[in-house]
Amino acid sequence: MVDSLFPSIETTVDDASPESRRKRRRISETAKETAESSEINQESLKRWRTNRVQQIYASKLVEALRRVRQRSNDGGKITSAAREIRDTADRVLAASARGTTRWSRAVLATRVRASLKKHKKAKLTGARKPRKDTAAERKRSKLPAVERKLKILGRLVPGCRKVTVPNLLDEATDYIAALEMQVRAMESLAELLAAAAPRSMLTRP
Amino acid sequence: MLEGLVSPENLSLSSMDMNVLERLKWLQQQQQQQVVSQSSDNSPELLQILQFHESNNDELLQSTFSHFQMLGSCFGPSPNMGFGPSHEAMDGCISRTSSFQMVPVDTMGVMLKNSEENRTISSKNKRKSEVKRREEEKTEKKIKVEAETESNMKGKSSMSNNTEASSDTSKETSKGASEIQKLDYIHVRSRRGQATDRHSLAERARREKISKKMKYLQDIVPGCKKVTGQAGMLDEIINYVQSLQTQVEFLSMKLAVLDSELELAVEDLYVKQDQTVIIQKLLIIFFLFCYEFQLQAYFTNLPVVNASKPSIMVDVPLFPLDQQGSLDLSVINLSQTTSTEAPSASWETQSRSLFNTSSLGFHY
Repeated sequence: MVDSLFPSIETTVDDASPESRRKRRRISETAKETAESSEINQESLKRWRTNRVQQIYASKLVEALRRVRQRSNDGGKITSAAREIRDTADRVLAASARGTTRWSRAVLATRVRASLKKHKKAKLTGARKPRKDTAAERKRSKLPAVERKLKILGRLVPGCRKVTVPNLLDEATDYIAALEMQVRAMESLAELLAAAAPRSMLTRP
Repeated sequence: MLEGLVSPENLSLSSMDMNVLERLKWLQQQQQQQVVSQSSDNSPELLQILQFHESNNDELLQSTFSHFQMLGSCFGPSPNMGFGPSHEAMDGCISRTSSFQMVPVDTMGVMLKNSEENRTISSKNKRKSEVKRREEEKTEKKIKVEAETESNMKGKSSMSNNTEASSDTSKETSKGASEIQKLDYIHVRSRRGQATDRHSLAERARREKISKKMKYLQDIVPGCKKVTGQAGMLDEIINYVQSLQTQVEFLSMKLAVLDSELELAVEDLYVKQDQTVIIQKLLIIFFLFCYEFQLQAYFTNLPVVNASKPSIMVDVPLFPLDQQGSLDLSVINLSQTTSTEAPSASWETQSRSLFNTSSLGFHY
């Protein structure tokens, strides 16, 4: 019954996708191969763009979101649910990286540590003295401008604060590719849900 | 006749070996200069080779020197390689002396060996090769050094130009050319005999690695190619990562909203007993359970669609949110419209038609 409902969509999608997918993948791959390739960067770029990875991520994401929905049940408004969804999505993304990159391992590890540290952190934030950003400090730290930016980048990529510069750049490349995939997956999921939901809202008397 | 003896050898030599020949000539020229003017030479290696020459080919070189003295006046300046008249004189001198036949066999054999080894070493990527020989010095220095203008240096740099022209296909020169185009081109003035400094070599290797990785980042981050300099590029990269993370947060919030709506809809199902409404809710539930499958089908279209466009355009449909910068729901509609290609458009119309039919009381 369900299949009869959605066969037409299925077939059109399937007809359109394999050949075009093959063609596009060939084009995109050749486009990528024309660039000078070292092993790490090329592999990381390709890894997050294959359809297989995206399918794996999408299915895992859906499962995890379903579990989240069951757990939270709209307890503390939307923001907490949003945070949970984001954490779940990040964790699923890190899991699909299969532990090869540093940031993925850090993301998966922080989940365990965060639940332990939740109580300690509330006390620590009050005790720390906030540093006033004086002009002298700014002038002092402005000299190695590139190094400062590398530090900021290290803070953005999870688990890469004390990482050497070439490794940091590698991690950043992989992280950016993974984030792009995550954004695309979540966008398509949201689009599907948006297509589903408003109809029910409208037809409700 | 003497020329006939020597010329087939010259002709059989490839262009690469001709440079060896010229190097040899230059070497002999150097030797003569040393003998004549007693100019000090910088590198110990040259002295070694000169000593080698002197020990082996003393008589030959003396004879060539005497010939040079005789024929030096006959040759004018040549535009060749910028060596000056003396080089041309040496050229003529060498081609005319009979004694020169033996010299190329020895020294050019040595030179050839050196150059071959040089090429094999240069074809590797690592720069931490042993820099004992002069030829290796030459090729590596070509990459590091700009053309110096001292008279000695001029000869050396033109020599290294020769070696570069000879090993044109080697990776090192291509890397050198690409390195010159890099953003952070650093002038390194390293003279002969100072390239054995492992620190500078290591530093150069490290910088090359970093610049290569920055180049990959440049490819993946949109809008990075316009900015020059590492600081600007890093700025762009940081902005991009932050924007991606913000997008993820925004999308997670959107998903939370949609999920709550769907939950309410499901709850409605249990509250209301209306037949048509139940069917609609059932459809939604089926949709929910099936969207995993559809998501894959739909999702496979998205990367296909986006990958088909050229690299610049890939970013535009993917990140309209990034460019708009607003968290409005209208942006979402915009993203839907911008990312519509034929398959996704058909998908949407079909899904809408489904729900239209359901609202009309579709029974199955």
